[in-house]
Amino acid sequence: MSELTPALLWLIPGAPLIASVFIACFGKALLRGRSHVPCVAALAVSTACAGFMMLTFLAMPSSLKQDTSLLNREQIQDLPVEAEQQEPKPLATTPGYDWSVTENLRVRLDLQVDSMTALMLCTITLVSLLVSIYASGYMHGDPGYPRFFAAFALFVFSMCMLVLADNYLTMFVFWEGVGLCSYLLIGFWFQKPSAAAAARKAFVVNRIGDFGFILGIFLIWKTFDTVKFSEVFDRIPSVLETNPEVFTTICLLLFLGAMGKSAQFPLHVWLPDAMEGPTPVSALIHAATMVTAGVYMVARSTPLFVMSPVAQMVVTGIGAITALLAALTALTQYDLKRVLAYSTVSQLGFMFMALGAACVSPKLTTFAVTAAMFHLFTHAFFKALLFLGAGSVMHSMGDVIDMRRFSGLRHVMPHTRITFLFGSLALAGCPLLSGFWSKDEILVALFEGTKAGGHETFFMAILVVAVVTAFLTAFYSFRAYNMTFLGEERFPEEAHHPHESSPTMTLPLFILAGFSVVIGLFLGPTGVYARQLAQSTSLPEHGDHPHSVPLMALSAAIFAAGYGLARWMYVKAPGVPAKLESGLKPLHRLSLNKFYLDELFTYLLVIPVKVLALVCTLFDKYLIDGLLNFVGSIPSMIGRIVRPMQNGLVSNYAWVMLLGLVLFLIQMLRAFAG
Amino acid sequence: MFGHLTSAFNQILPEIILLAAACVNLAVGPFLIGDSGQAASGIRHRWGVWSLLALLLAGWCSLMPTPVIEATQLAPFQVNTLVWFVRLITLTTGTVLVLTNWNQTSDSDAAESQACLLFILAGANLIALANDLVVLFLALELVSIPTYLFLYVARRDRSGQEATLKYFLLSVFSSALVLYGFSFLYGVAGTTNLTALHRVFQNYEFSAIPAMLLVSIVTIVSGLAFRITAVPFHFYAPDVFQGTATSAAALLSFIPKVAGFIALIRILGQPSVEAATHLGYWSLAAKSGDVLFLLAIATMFVGNLLALLQKNLRRLLAYSSIAHAGYMLVGLSVAVSVPQINDDASAGSVGGLPALLFYLGIYGITTLGVFALIASLSCPERPLETSDDLAGLSKTHPAGAFLAAVLLFGLTGLPPTAGFLGKLTLFLSAWNHGTDLGRRLAICLAINAAIAAWYYLRLIGAMYLQPSRNDTRRTTGVPAFVGVSLCAVASIALFFAPDWLWQALQRVGG
Repeated sequence: MSELTPALLWLIPGAPLIASVFIACFGKALLRGRSHVPCVAALAVSTACAGFMMLTFLAMPSSLKQDTSLLNREQIQDLPVEAEQQEPKPLATTPGYDWSVTENLRVRLDLQVDSMTALMLCTITLVSLLVSIYASGYMHGDPGYPRFFAAFALFVFSMCMLVLADNYLTMFVFWEGVGLCSYLLIGFWFQKPSAAAAARKAFVVNRIGDFGFILGIFLIWKTFDTVKFSEVFDRIPSVLETNPEVFTTICLLLFLGAMGKSAQFPLHVWLPDAMEGPTPVSALIHAATMVTAGVYMVARSTPLFVMSPVAQMVVTGIGAITALLAALTALTQYDLKRVLAYSTVSQLGFMFMALGAACVSPKLTTFAVTAAMFHLFTHAFFKALLFLGAGSVMHSMGDVIDMRRFSGLRHVMPHTRITFLFGSLALAGCPLLSGFWSKDEILVALFEGTKAGGHETFFMAILVVAVVTAFLTAFYSFRAYNMTFLGEERFPEEAHHPHESSPTMTLPLFILAGFSVVIGLFLGPTGVYARQLAQSTSLPEHGDHPHSVPLMALSAAIFAAGYGLARWMYVKAPGVPAKLESGLKPLHRLSLNKFYLDELFTYLLVIPVKVLALVCTLFDKYLIDGLLNFVGSIPSMIGRIVRPMQNGLVSNYAWVMLLGLVLFLIQMLRAFAG
Repeated sequence: MFGHLTSAFNQILPEIILLAAACVNLAVGPFLIGDSGQAASGIRHRWGVWSLLALLLAGWCSLMPTPVIEATQLAPFQVNTLVWFVRLITLTTGTVLVLTNWNQTSDSDAAESQACLLFILAGANLIALANDLVVLFLALELVSIPTYLFLYVARRDRSGQEATLKYFLLSVFSSALVLYGFSFLYGVAGTTNLTALHRVFQNYEFSAIPAMLLVSIVTIVSGLAFRITAVPFHFYAPDVFQGTATSAAALLSFIPKVAGFIALIRILGQPSVEAATHLGYWSLAAKSGDVLFLLAIATMFVGNLLALLQKNLRRLLAYSSIAHAGYMLVGLSVAVSVPQINDDASAGSVGGLPALLFYLGIYGITTLGVFALIASLSCPERPLETSDDLAGLSKTHPAGAFLAAVLLFGLTGLPPTAGFLGKLTLFLSAWNHGTDLGRRLAICLAINAAIAAWYYLRLIGAMYLQPSRNDTRRTTGVPAFVGVSLCAVASIALFFAPDWLWQALQRVGG
């Protein structure tokens, strides 16, 4: 049987970190056009390690899990999370970096892997490996080539550390780390004002969420006296007796953090703008991995969230609002990447809807969280695929991404077209493809909520929203596909010679397409993913795993309806969209302008803050600065007074030394005399 | 008798290697100078390599276990963990000094110059080894006398001569003070052996102390305060640093401090495991706390306030080295005073002595790194004399500017450099001391660290924000630049892994 060693564990985040530092140091001078090599190599190592780790976890059947002899030797501990459940769950912790000066000043950085982390790691490393291969073709010839890969590898390091963290504080540090990398990569073309503005916007909006997250961590620390996941979860029963109200506050604060990172309404406004970054970045960070950190965090905190049904309902509610609004916005966007961005926001909303459904009954908790995490998993593949496909189109069309300016690319870009089609099918929820299974699980979880749990009407409304959103999803994904690849062949004038992308770019597309097609079928209905995730220390062990055939049929029907409508409107009767547009002008405007949320933010937040900033500036300039300048001038004033003593004469120096000696002697003798 | 001699020989083997290598320099050097009065060009590289080899060999020898000797307490030398630590810092900083000195001297002077360095380093080690007032004084002089020569050899123009003479006269004065204090000690106790001395004084009640002893403490502390550039014994430092060569200034900024502090530690207290975390509990040390307190406060403030006004880089670094001596004196005053034991503070208490030694080592690599950088980047056509010369260094020498920024961050005491940990441990040791004295020192330390940030960060600002007057790239003196890189890397590495140095220090006097 294979063994999981700490070195292996450290190699997963370590390899990208080394690559990042290496590229940052030598990229500009030495590597230049070869800067992708260390990055791709490191990610391959990480992926191999993560895969190996996953296999170790898979190879541990329940009977073996109690055999701790092997695990102890490799500093792997089996920690039972709930006392009443005797069966321990596999959890690998590895003592990490220990920074300590004195006994009281001790900072530890330990890694922890349970099945949830292992699954996340596999997704992250695999998708980032594929995207990095793609990026080596896509970014070719860019002057910032080394910078791109240095930031890219740094991002993968931070993201791995985020999921490997064994406490909230480490998680927060790397939460900020991925935020920083995201900022660097959105603003990669910082000469472009729009990219710089988008990077700033992403950073500032994320600050609002992070503010909630850090407050939540403080509250956890104050309540539980620890920020370590396992200890926090262990101490829940005792806190529940003394202070049950605190859970709602903690969970809402944590969720605020998740809303920022995972772009939930009303903090989702940064994500569509983040598409200003290079497309591989959009694919990896703003679709497949970083934005799912919020989902991961809430899933990781499930033991806290189940204590507060109110917080759970908020999670579901926000998720539903986000999913619907984003889907409605996506209907009318003409920028292909923006359609995908809103679809990402919408799918993240789906995940949160499922996470919130965990409050229905204790038995359903595991199922609901599994549904969310499974959707996260499949979404990572097909959304990365769609973005990379969009990037391929953009590459070929001379960086034009407005769908009104090109169409009928099916002959020019056959490979991109076929892979994009699979991605769209998966996103739209075509039966048997991966998106279908994960979305179906979410619908089942919501459906269970309408049957029991005391919030039947609430969940009924949520289920309706989810179904409508699923329909819209199918519609807008095929709207985008049809507008881009079908219809008459048209190119914008920027596209000098429209062509299929190079194999370095299409190969990752095909691999991702393969995953998008099969991964749902293999891991969803067979229950492999669910069984594996149930081993996570954050989840209660067994639970129901309900199925609902009517719902499955419904979701297939929804797909068919959305697909059919898109086909009819954009292929069979191309005049219809224009007519609808003029017929429903106010609604169309509303959707096209993203429900005027940006404008609303400007008037409600940005302008007041700017006025406040102006007042503060004046206060600072005239009062604080004056005061500070005065205080600051005191030291140098004293210095000027003392300076003449330093006159360069040796005899003077000797005199002063003697004076000092006499002074000390007098002081000493006075002390002696009492 | 013979057995004692060989055992003493074994104890100071690394120092003997250094001294022997230096003697070879002095004996062979003159013969390599031709009739024209000039040595073959490039010969300084050989002397540099030779010195590095000597240091390496000495380092290797000091790692070997020393045989345990019976009746060690009355022997002239005593090997303990303090010696181990002093050897570690002198040999590592010695390497940097050799590298700094590499291109600072002409080919014909290289042999003597490097020999002086080796003598000085051996002397610093012997101070830690000395268990006898006579040996201690000899060791102190083994540091001082080659220093005069080193200053003179390094720079012989008018300003160099003036600096050397100033240092010589005042240094002799301070040596006389130290010797005067020693004679009182001998007069009171009737022995020159330090272990015996400590034992005699351990049993004294404070009220029964002869007044003569107080006079001796004051003169010894004052004399050694000259070496550590404590106010008001600091006046020579800015003039000498500015007047002499960069390598000599580098030497003066650090090695005399090691000599002074280690000598003070050896005289004021016997670092031993029983004495817990401080040197006190015996009457000689306990009352020197007041003097050291005054010294520390005066030194910190004067150093930092005057540094604010400086334009000349070496003069600025001279005041900065005075200020750093003040920080270290905080550690020493805490170490010699009796702490107020309370449960909260003692739980996280940091000893004043380990904090001082930790800071000493970190300060050494940081400040020598800055001097090495100046030595590496300045050449006669394009000197690096004032802060204006630093302007635009990030354009004209990006790597140098980056390393300088790291080292200046270290001197400021900002993370992620070891300087931060040094200041932090000193602050903790003072704050958790539990007495008014400790708290006052801690607050003064914090205020001074803030003042100091202004002039260090101003230099970084000049390097990165101001335009350069001459945009051609600067040339690099390779050996000194290697020294800079070593220092910068060590400074960052010690922040991330302070444990190995800190753990070793915990054993020095408990």
